[in-house]
Amino acid sequence: MKKIILILAVIASLNSFSQNQTIGFGEELIFTASYNMSGLLTDIAQFKMETSEVKTSKSTLMRLKCTAATYSKWDNFFKIRDLYESYVNPKTLTPYLYKRDISEGGYYKFMQYKYNHKSKSVTSLKRKKRKDGNTWDEKKILNIGASTKDIVSLLYNIRNLDIQKASPGDKQNFTILFDNEEVIISIKYISKETISTKIGKKECYKLSLSVKGKDVLKGSESNLLWLTADANKVPVYAKFKIPVGNGELKIVSASGLKN
Amino acid sequence: MKKSLIISGFITAVLAVILAVTPLSNLSIIPLIIGFLCGLGILFISKKDKKRTKTIQYIFLLVTIALCLTIYKGIFQTSELGDTEQLQQREEDNLEDSKEILEDIEIDEDF
Repeated sequence: MKKIILILAVIASLNSFSQNQTIGFGEELIFTASYNMSGLLTDIAQFKMETSEVKTSKSTLMRLKCTAATYSKWDNFFKIRDLYESYVNPKTLTPYLYKRDISEGGYYKFMQYKYNHKSKSVTSLKRKKRKDGNTWDEKKILNIGASTKDIVSLLYNIRNLDIQKASPGDKQNFTILFDNEEVIISIKYISKETISTKIGKKECYKLSLSVKGKDVLKGSESNLLWLTADANKVPVYAKFKIPVGNGELKIVSASGLKN
Repeated sequence: MKKSLIISGFITAVLAVILAVTPLSNLSIIPLIIGFLCGLGILFISKKDKKRTKTIQYIFLLVTIALCLTIYKGIFQTSELGDTEQLQQREEDNLEDSKEILEDIEIDEDF
């Protein structure tokens, strides 16, 4: 009898770990992205994270949408209008469809991943613009790992981690598919910190992010993320270092939170 | 020495004004400081030689203009989003397209 209770308890705890208890439909987080220019941080773009419900005839999915748009004064220099979205299972945040539709200073790229978790494969579609304005498509079928995600669903999955149970120094690796390549992202819990934000003074979990074997996010602890230490685990502040400099992401507003 | 200070002072002061006018006004701080220091250097040398040069006034005038513009922009200019109509259209198009793709997908509770 004891064994059965123990097994049931373990199953229940595993289930609670994978279940989404943090992100709900209708959530909207707005950030300001700043870039370091001669030692001074300059606001360059607005970054928005939104969730919504998408119903098909067979199922209900959660649309995780991230958009980035440069402020008007930068549009003449380098206009960015990026859209990243992921359609996930609302209960487990497992991605089923990912889209990346970016337009950056005349450069256009579209990536689409359609996940098939049973066969552990992804149907990838890449669309680029030629110089004459026409587009060309490249289709591929890629084999992926059982837990491979995309960049957008990863951001939300980090929020769904049981950080309250972690100790400083604990690490977790995630595999994501980016530009048709599997990339390992390592997340490390550093400490708890209280920081002032536009949505108030918040106690936060400080995490560090690093990409294994890539130059994208350089340094082991130079890419940091602060998540509120509450049930919503809202990302309120982020510091990042890329090959061409460093910048920050600060929250402006948060609405429609689940808890 | 004095000549090189005048030349570099002028160049940096003009550069500071140009940058202060553009959205890159934050970048004008470095040339602004260099211009100001060059101006001070010329002033120091001129006092030593007991000769007055008009260039100091011009450099300080340009530095002041650049500084005023940078401070004004820093305080009063708010960051506003530009035209996002095209992005919104792409968002809608992608949503419609995604719904069609997802139509044949059945969510497996195991995943």
